[in-house]
Amino acid sequence: MVLASVLVFCILILSAQVPARARRGSLLQAWILTATAPLALGIANVSRTMTGIADSVGDLFTTRSENQRLKNEIVKKDRELFELRARVASDALDQQLLVGAAALPKILTVAPVLLVESRAGLQSAVIGAGSAQQVVVGCPIAVPQGLVGRIVTVSRSIARAQLLIDASAAAGARIVRTGEMGIARGDGRGHLKLQNIATTSRVAPGDVIESAGIDGIYPRGVTIGTVSTVSRGSLFLEIGVTPAASFSQLTDVLVLSPSPAVTETAPGGKDARQ
Amino acid sequence: MKITRVAALIVAGVALQFFLGSSRHRAAWPVDFFLLATAVVARSGDFVRAVLVGGAAGLLEDTLNHELIGMNAFAKAVIGYLLALLSVRLIFGGPWAVGGALAVASLVNDAIVAVLAALLLQAPIVLLSRESLWRAAATGATGSLLEAARVFPWRQWWQSRRLRRLR
Repeated sequence: MVLASVLVFCILILSAQVPARARRGSLLQAWILTATAPLALGIANVSRTMTGIADSVGDLFTTRSENQRLKNEIVKKDRELFELRARVASDALDQQLLVGAAALPKILTVAPVLLVESRAGLQSAVIGAGSAQQVVVGCPIAVPQGLVGRIVTVSRSIARAQLLIDASAAAGARIVRTGEMGIARGDGRGHLKLQNIATTSRVAPGDVIESAGIDGIYPRGVTIGTVSTVSRGSLFLEIGVTPAASFSQLTDVLVLSPSPAVTETAPGGKDARQ
Repeated sequence: MKITRVAALIVAGVALQFFLGSSRHRAAWPVDFFLLATAVVARSGDFVRAVLVGGAAGLLEDTLNHELIGMNAFAKAVIGYLLALLSVRLIFGGPWAVGGALAVASLVNDAIVAVLAALLLQAPIVLLSRESLWRAAATGATGSLLEAARVFPWRQWWQSRRLRRLR
């Protein structure tokens, strides 16, 4: 009897949420996230401190080799920087680059990752930033290596994000080398698939995929990943993509300002932009 | 089992979930603490409490992690009932049996959530992924260790240790 009541209750809750899910996170979710925020943030701080201490102790043993590696890396980076500076200075297209840069999104805040969940293809993360930091539903999140996902529920101090590798997540994508556009979809197992690329494409393993900015959610020009496998399907190529961001080791993410399309369609979007 | 102990179990589940979740090494040992809390209550053989705790723990997990609230609540209520049934109807015990049952329960939880997500979110069904198998193994092993610690004769061990020292 109790089992039946609980199951019916769950089905009623699920049914009540289904029509509204595409527009915004439910109010109940936002309330419970707000209620758990102090606990979550407190525990996360303790956890980070302890992990930091453990890492520091571990670092003591590897400092010398790490120092040498970093020195070599700095020398290599300096060389690259010198070449890039020279190239940019002599490039007649630098003006176009500057125009393109205006379309890049503004970073709203840097938020710690409090929780990452991966269950049955559904991949999500709870981050330590909310409406108090101007975060709204639809804000893309990223790390310096690449795109991570988008915010789906916001409370005052924490928010929940759908990761790009979620089985129902998708983003407009572009192959940098060939310029062809397709859709990058999560496979729910930690990888991505690039769809809708014609079989005549010259895409090859190793090609970099970036966001195309055509979906109204993600900004253009942010790295998504690199092509790992290419095989021929019936109509389109079947392309496997390895994500650029390391989803299993996320610690902090950049929350980007939402796309204009998101702020215009979201309820109270104009307020959110102000 | 007392209500205060049940509440403490759920709060401990949330705390541990966040404690491990905010660490960089979260994927190393991804234990489903909400399932463990449900199993601890189900171990007492109380069907009503097992189902209610499963539902509550799942609801909390959904709120923190999922787009639709209720998928894990549904799964964990069913699992709470099944685990209570298992502990009442079968002569069931020992770390290996408990660990195995919890690993299977974790996979069943994932399967129920996958089917519900496919029905309600039109998401592709993802079963037996690497993460799912690793979580089942970690949850089973942790449950197994907890059961081993529960049945271990700590008092006798302590007394024999003291005697050895005195000699």
